[in-house]
Order: sequence, then structure tokens, then C-alpha cells
Amino acid sequence: MSDIVIKAAGWLGPEGFGNDLAGLANWPAPLGEALRRGELEELRWSELFDSEAERFARMDWLSRLGLMAVELLDARFETWDAQDREQTGICVETATGCLTSDAEFLRLPRPTVFTYTLPSTVIGEICIRHRFKGPMLCLMSSGKSTRATIDEAAGWLREGSAKACLCVSCEAVSPDVAALLPPDLALENKWQACALLLGRKSGAPRQHALGKGTLTETCRHLCRAARRC
Amino acid sequence: MGASLETTLSQPRAAVAGCGAICATGAGIGTLADALRDNRSALRAREAFAGKRYQTTVAGWVPEETIAQLATHDPEHADAHAFLMADAALQEAGKNLPTAAAGRRALVLSTTKADILAMERVFHRQPCSRTVHRHILPRLLADDLAAAHQVRGPVQCVSAACISGLLALQQGASLIERGAADVVLVAGVDLVSHFVLAGFTSLKSLDAEGCRPFDSRRTGLSLGEGAGAVALVRRDLLPSPVWTIAGWGSSNDANHLTGPSRDGSGLVLAINRALQRAAVATGGIDYLHAHGTGTLYNDNMESLALRTVFGKNVPPCSSSKGIFGHTLGAAGVLETILCLLAARSNTLPGTPRLLERDPVAPQSMLLRPQPATRLRCMLKINSGFGGANAALVLRKDPA
Repeated sequence: MSDIVIKAAGWLGPEGFGNDLAGLANWPAPLGEALRRGELEELRWSELFDSEAERFARMDWLSRLGLMAVELLDARFETWDAQDREQTGICVETATGCLTSDAEFLRLPRPTVFTYTLPSTVIGEICIRHRFKGPMLCLMSSGKSTRATIDEAAGWLREGSAKACLCVSCEAVSPDVAALLPPDLALENKWQACALLLGRKSGAPRQHALGKGTLTETCRHLCRAARRC
Repeated sequence: MGASLETTLSQPRAAVAGCGAICATGAGIGTLADALRDNRSALRAREAFAGKRYQTTVAGWVPEETIAQLATHDPEHADAHAFLMADAALQEAGKNLPTAAAGRRALVLSTTKADILAMERVFHRQPCSRTVHRHILPRLLADDLAAAHQVRGPVQCVSAACISGLLALQQGASLIERGAADVVLVAGVDLVSHFVLAGFTSLKSLDAEGCRPFDSRRTGLSLGEGAGAVALVRRDLLPSPVWTIAGWGSSNDANHLTGPSRDGSGLVLAINRALQRAAVATGGIDYLHAHGTGTLYNDNMESLALRTVFGKNVPPCSSSKGIFGHTLGAAGVLETILCLLAARSNTLPGTPRLLERDPVAPQSMLLRPQPATRLRCMLKINSGFGGANAALVLRKDPA
């Protein structure tokens, strides 16, 4: 794995949020155990999403959390040219996917909700915002974060299918929807998203070795290490 | 980038060892082959869903007697329709496979909604067995199918809208290419339910009479349900000749969540990536199986993308949505099986329910089946919500 490195990481969940480069001092207090609509908006997302804030408000929670994790990356996507974006792949993993939107649609069917009843819609939202057009994959996991997305992304980078790759893990389960889940599903967290930006090793600064951890573990490890610095 | 890909990946290692299917034509690939030969549509209205304010109930429904037979054979899963269908397709695909240790057997499932009937029951607090309750989550359905088919190797579940099936085949081939498995069972499954009908009705994307892909009078798609399974095996474990998964590619339009990009540029990227990986030139494609949903925008976008890639020489092409409808997460797998069945009978499939070809559609769009003069390399494409596009190259080895 030494030829593939982490260029940036971002995460948010019940303990708070962070990324591998920026200090956390300017951010609001850590999020509460149950991350609800109002609390997420306290993340000053309008600063992150600028004129697209209205679009952000229309999204389901899976897309919001996944997009927010990507926005937390200190990656300066705005400086990337069209070719960079065309060769940026994205791998998403989720255990519960769009269950919250499914339940909302069952309660009241409407097209704006149906759009979000696919776990891969978060990929579309991220790609629309950043004009990423590379290979894509959305894997459903068993509840525990796995290595599958990292391994897939590393494969794309090695074989040249992508020049950069985002690995995103997200879960967004509201308390009422959690009651619908099978009893034997062991979820690590019902509100959480994390993102890694992977690329091939280069001479650029701020590159982290890709360890053996899962996506979630790797993000948190990097963020905690950055906080200690 | 291109040169290294061609050098390292032009020798495909994943070959097709078997197929299985359950869809609107019935159980078994034989029923699909018959519909293909007869250019017959199996779309029909369904009384049980009438009067619910859906645009239509015309869809590719799996015959009720087929489901009843499956349930009789497996009473433990009688109410687990997604499991029953996928399990039956996997059993058919898995006949006569080379022996492999359980740890070298993998499974990749593709689905958009897993057992959506179970989700509806759980949500409405209706009786639901513990077994089927698990299947509201796609990955648990994959885990149960893996356990039923002696899979102890990697298990993956792809859920990426209507390109899920092609991505699952890609993942299956990739597991073999990377040495993670010798046998990969790839299955795709999705059901038509109140949820699904209500969703597509809310988007006003259904054709009340049944879909007419690439027809100048088309007004929308027809939903379909079913399961398809393809058993992939390490190339060197099978006698020649075999069909291999030679290349694949995917992309995102980065344009719109439910509408395809108007210029087809995303699909062009996916096709070019697949051709590049397979080291096949555009002139080397003998047949192309289109997504061809029957919606105005999809078929326009696809036609434009094909002209961009192939110019005036678009290979003979067709859509099979008129046979069994749009089976969503199962579409890529079922439609790949249809390509393989066509190759087996040396036939170029027609496009059932296409009567009057839209002028924007490729001239090479086939209305009826035709004998094939050459079938050595085929291209399968799908696009879906979220701006997703995927392409897969199937190649006979040796040609």
C-alpha cells in the first residue's frame, strides 16, 4: 500500500468533526449524541456551501453528511482543472444507506424525496458540486466500516483508472427509522460521515501513509493526531 | 495512463461459466432465450396494483406461479421474494462450476432496494419474518445468499442505481483479476412494489402502454422485477472458448440527479474507459446492448453518446427493456445474460415494442432479431439516477 497515500481526511459524527490539516478552534462546539437538523446547520454550512446553500437544504441527510465530510477535506478542489476532475473517482460505503429517505417516502410519496431513496445519490451530489467525472462505486456494508472502499480506490489509482480518489463512508439514521432496523445489525454509529482523499505518492508535503485501518478508523486517527499537534 | 492499462489489462482473467435468470418471461434462461428469439414482450398489467393512482401497472412482473413454485421449494423463505429469486438464479448459474475452496468463492450482489416488500411490511407494522426483515438492508441479503451458496471469500453488495448490475460484474471480474477469488457469483435482484411504482409515478416517468425504447412515440419506461446471476471463474479454469469480462468503465455526469446529461458526455467517458481497458477499438465491437429505457431524455442522450463514440458506424444495437422492463439493480446483470444468450444462438437481438425508430436513434438500432455474421466482442451500457454511467466489454476468448 506504500505507493498510495492519504492527501486529506475529514469526518463528522457525535464526537464532533475535523480534518487533518485545519485547526478546530474556529469551529462550533462538538455535536451532540443525536445530530439533528438544527444542530447540523450550526456547522456554519453556509460558509462551506456559499451560493449552493439552498440546494444543500433540499438534500437528504445521507447526502448532507457525505458532502460535509468532503467539504471538510483541506483539498482546495477549486484549484483543480477539468482534467483533474474528470480523473477523480469516488467510492462510497454505507450500511444503512437511504433508509431514512425510504421511510420518509413511505410516509408521504413525493418526487423530491424519491430522488434520495438511493444510497448512491450522495455520489451524484458530491460530483455535481465538484464536477468529478471519474469512476464511481457505492458499496453497502454490514454495519462495521471495512477496507473495501479503500482497497477499491487504491486499485483504481494503481491501474490508472483515476488520478485521485475520494473514499466516503456515511450513515444517517433518524431515531424513528432506527426502530425499523433488524435487531442483529451492529451499527458503529447512526450519524457519521468521513472522507479520505487518496492519491499516488508524490514529493508534495502533507501526505499520510495508508495504514491497515478501515476508512472510519483511519479518518479518526488522522484527525486526533492533527489535534494533538 | 492509457498505454500502461493496455499493456497490463488486455488479457482478461475473468470468464463466464454460467448464467441464471428469473424475470417476466419466467424462471430459467431458457424462457429468456425464447423471448429473445420471438422478439416477445412479457410486459403486462397487474390487477393487484390497480386503482392506486399509479401512472400504470404495466410492468415486467415475475409470473405469480413462478414465485409460488419457488416458495414451495423453499418454505423458510416463502415471504422473502428477493432472496428466493436471487437464490434460484444463482443455483442455475452455479451448475457445473469448477471446484474451488469456499474461501476462494466470492459473491457480489447488485440491487437498489433489496427486499422492498419487506421494508413496506416493516414500516406498516405488518407481519414479517425475522429472515426477511434482515433483507431490507442490501448487505444482509448478500450475506444470506453467500451463506446459502457456500461462499466464504469476499462478499460485496453494490447499490448504485441502474448501473449497479454492471458495477457488480466489474467488481466480480476485479476480484478475480486481483487474485482475491477463483469463483465469483454475481447476482442482481430488484422487485416492483408500491414504493417503486409510486416513486416512478411521482416522477411521471412511466409509459402507460408499456415502454417503447428508441421509438419516436415513446413516453416513458416500464418497470420490471427479477434476478439475474452470472458465475465468473478464473479464465484458466475453463476450457476454450469462453466469454470474458474484458473491460469496464464508469463515470458520473456531474450534472443532474434524475436527468441524464443532454450531451451524453458522461456516458462517452464510461464507454471510452471500458474500450481502453479492454484494448478494443470502436470498430471491434460487433454488437451493443443499450440501456434504452424508453424515456425521451435517456434515449436521446444515449443516441448522442453513441454517435460521439462511434461516429456513423454505430454497431448493431438494441434494447431489451421491452421484454422484461427496467429491472433497476438487476438490469445490468439480466441484460448481460441476454447478450450471452444472443451469442450462444449467434443472433443479434431485436428491440421488442419498438415500431417506428426515432430519427435521433442510431440507424443500426435493430427492430427484430437478425442472424449475426460475427459476434466476438459486445458492449453493454447502462445509465442511472445520480448521473451514473457504466460500460462493460464482453469478449470471446479465443475469438
